[in-house]
Amino acid sequence: MDVINSLYHGFATAITIQNLYLAFLGCLWGTVVGVLPGIGPVAGITLLIPATYGMDATGAIIMMAGIYYGAMYGGSTTSILMNIPGESASVITCLDGYQMTLKGRGGAALFIAAFGSWVGGTLSVCGLMLMAPLLAGFAMKFGPPEMFSIYLVAFILLSSLGTDFFKTMPMVLLGLLLATIGMDPLTGVLRFTHGAKHLYDGLGFVPIAMGAFGMGEILSSTQESTVGREVHKVKIREMLPTRAEMRASLGPITRGSGIGFFVGLLPGSAHIVSSFLSYLVEKRLADRPEEFGHGRIEGVAGPETANNAAAGSAMIPFLSLGIPTGPPAAVMMIALLIHGIRPGPLFITEQPDVFWGLVASMYIGNVILLILNLPLVGLFINLLRVPFRILFPIVLLICLVGTYTVNLDTFELIVLLCAGILGYIFRSCGLEIAALVLAIILGPGAEIAFRQSLMRSGGSFAIFFQSPIAMTLIAVSGSLLAWNMYRSFSKKPASG
Amino acid sequence: MTKERVGSIIFLVFGIYGLVLSLQLPMGSWSEPGAGPFPLMVSILLCLSGVKMFFSEQGTVAIDWRTICKQQQTPFQIVVLTAVFIAALDRLGYLLTSTLYLFTLLFWVSRYKVWISVVIAVSIGIGSWYVFAKLLATPLPEGWLKF
Repeated sequence: MDVINSLYHGFATAITIQNLYLAFLGCLWGTVVGVLPGIGPVAGITLLIPATYGMDATGAIIMMAGIYYGAMYGGSTTSILMNIPGESASVITCLDGYQMTLKGRGGAALFIAAFGSWVGGTLSVCGLMLMAPLLAGFAMKFGPPEMFSIYLVAFILLSSLGTDFFKTMPMVLLGLLLATIGMDPLTGVLRFTHGAKHLYDGLGFVPIAMGAFGMGEILSSTQESTVGREVHKVKIREMLPTRAEMRASLGPITRGSGIGFFVGLLPGSAHIVSSFLSYLVEKRLADRPEEFGHGRIEGVAGPETANNAAAGSAMIPFLSLGIPTGPPAAVMMIALLIHGIRPGPLFITEQPDVFWGLVASMYIGNVILLILNLPLVGLFINLLRVPFRILFPIVLLICLVGTYTVNLDTFELIVLLCAGILGYIFRSCGLEIAALVLAIILGPGAEIAFRQSLMRSGGSFAIFFQSPIAMTLIAVSGSLLAWNMYRSFSKKPASG
Repeated sequence: MTKERVGSIIFLVFGIYGLVLSLQLPMGSWSEPGAGPFPLMVSILLCLSGVKMFFSEQGTVAIDWRTICKQQQTPFQIVVLTAVFIAALDRLGYLLTSTLYLFTLLFWVSRYKVWISVVIAVSIGIGSWYVFAKLLATPLPEGWLKF
């Protein structure tokens, strides 16, 4: 009943003219970002951070969440109609979605993708509203040793983001080191500032995110081919799937919802992992798996449902524990911090309007996206006619001016430029930039928890093993570390 | 030289930098850790990771430096122009700097014709100035020319 009452108040918050407008704007911009290759949901959210300065926190997070799951919807449109994944989670949809278009069933694929996304997104929001308060309540019992143990698990999982644990772990460590720049929060000692006053407060999350995800992505994208491709047009009346296609989609949509929800709880690019995992599951369960890749509706229904479900459940650890598990949540956290709100165990009890307003708006947003994506598919496709050569200067300018508006300081632009260069170099070396940025965000909390634990125990590390929760989490960290080490060392060296 | 080794060198540089400077920070005691221990531990782990990655044999593909250098022209142009934008922003003001920045990117990097670059640069420059300075009431730099 408590959940129902809270949700009722959440809808009262979300169904205001301003918040509905922001939800619509977020969904629309998210769909545009999802359609356009070269600009992912992270860059899309980052670009709008400056626009949130004049908003209240509820409106800001409603809009940003809309961008995130809107991008999941938008990415499927170009995957299906043009064989171009609008964003990474839609790569797998190209395999069967485009083949369906070639067979004249592109409309049905779009419908199923949108319908599955709606189901996955809605079920995942149900999970969010039930699990997040429980998890937050549980986390209220956490002291510094327990918090540090959670951070340890998060860092080890972050290190599993990339293809090789031992290539991604240094990115996490580098992020932790960069997070120590500035004034030590406990003693006030300046670290790594070299006398520069601008660095007393650290590097700043916004220029790092804008640089690494915005500028870094653009620098990498300038090397990709921008040759135009054929755009297949779809009429509204061709969008309805047949009964057989609907029946065939129900199982993948159900399984995709579950897969996406649970994968979304884990750190990493959950929306990408969930869509790949769902595809593999559907192929394994199919009566004729050899038909996958040649236009099976299950190959669209499952992955598209999973990536939207993952986008919703990724909010759970972010809102209830204050641990963003992926780049989009990290950028949303930055936006909330700018508004003076820190997600975590106290967030739901101290800011119920923001939390329940967000939950209600996610229900509304999923409906908005279902309405937007089907009739307006032609409009979104036309966006692809805008050459990337025109788009990227505009995006760069928005990154620069958006970063400048945070503190009205050109030093932040220098940080953005350096982060952009580093992001580009790391991408070129095949290293996971998201791990670095997430570690920068989580690092200060981890260090404080570690030092407070030692202060409590008088310098004894036994404090981490005296609490059942901390001990369990450290055991989980140890197991994950051992597993990743085993996987890494057991890989055969590449030949040649 | 491989991509992994380039990455590992970057990690080693940061790790050694962190290690040297962390040793100069107050360490405190175990019961009251100072500002130094955490960055010191992270720097040591970073150096070890960098060394491990440098000597790793897995997934190594040698870098073709000629190809890599040829591919860097556009990113290099963008970085240089962005650096000039940052340097000129306070002196020339946002409106002029952003317009010149966009024009140079569109003309020099994207290789559009002069008139197309001018039209797009002026419209986006003025449009972005209006959005940020007027609608969002952000005090953007005006520069020496005061506009």
